Amino acid sequence: MTQLTTLERIALYGGGGLLLMGTVGIGLLEIVAGAPHPVTGEGQIVHEALVPLQARSYVILLGLLLWGAYAVVSVATQAPATDTSV
Amino acid sequence: MVTDIHTRLLGRPVAFPVAESRLAYWLVVLRLVVGWWFLHAGLDKFLAWPFDASWFVGGAAAQTSLGPVVTLFSDGALLAFTNVMVPVGQVLIGLGLLLGALTKLAAFFGAFLMVFFYFINGETGGWAHGVITGDLLGLLIFAMIATLGAGRVLGVDAYLAQTSIVDDHPRLRYLIG
Repeated sequence: MTQLTTLERIALYGGGGLLLMGTVGIGLLEIVAGAPHPVTGEGQIVHEALVPLQARSYVILLGLLLWGAYAVVSVATQAPATDTSV
Repeated sequence: MVTDIHTRLLGRPVAFPVAESRLAYWLVVLRLVVGWWFLHAGLDKFLAWPFDASWFVGGAAAQTSLGPVVTLFSDGALLAFTNVMVPVGQVLIGLGLLLGALTKLAAFFGAFLMVFFYFINGETGGWAHGVITGDLLGLLIFAMIATLGAGRVLGVDAYLAQTSIVDDHPRLRYLIG
């Protein structure tokens, strides 16, 4: 059984949490009290959005960056889990 | 056969069964479809050479969240680098997934490219129906392929995993499926 270290918890829970906050969380807020469509088909930002689109983008981006950093740091610092398939 | 997964998530014990044959089957299907998606995208650009990314990294990206970084690549040597590396990268990612060779490395760079497509396409009109788009789902599928090591199933990585080079340098296992 594999256990997550503290750093892994920060990267995986933090990254996943931010991604879910930016997509699902803010999405629900916008459905209830803002603009369900953050941009138009022509790429114009809908200004009635409760959370500025750029802020929402950065929340999602930060989540993805945490995931990416986790992958890079794992390769750089940890030995991979024991491979039992070979 | 069914394997029982036992782990902990969010501080709680988690246990669930996985049907091994279905997981293996599904990993191959996903790997091949996503691999062709990227190989086609890369080959398409080579067949219509020269490829010019300036409309994307210069024009479209300028007003987006990634603009400050991406527009640095919109002219000069960095644009020339981008014009070559995007199709080359897409072909290599596609081949890596189709063959199941260096699958995790290919999937990592696939997800890396999808970050740019997701935000730039999204903020310039792709999010007209919400922020969950095909680009984000593609990114998540790349992450899943890397996480599950899909190259080991009917892929070259199954062979690479048994080579003495990988035995001597176990960290290489991060790059293969």
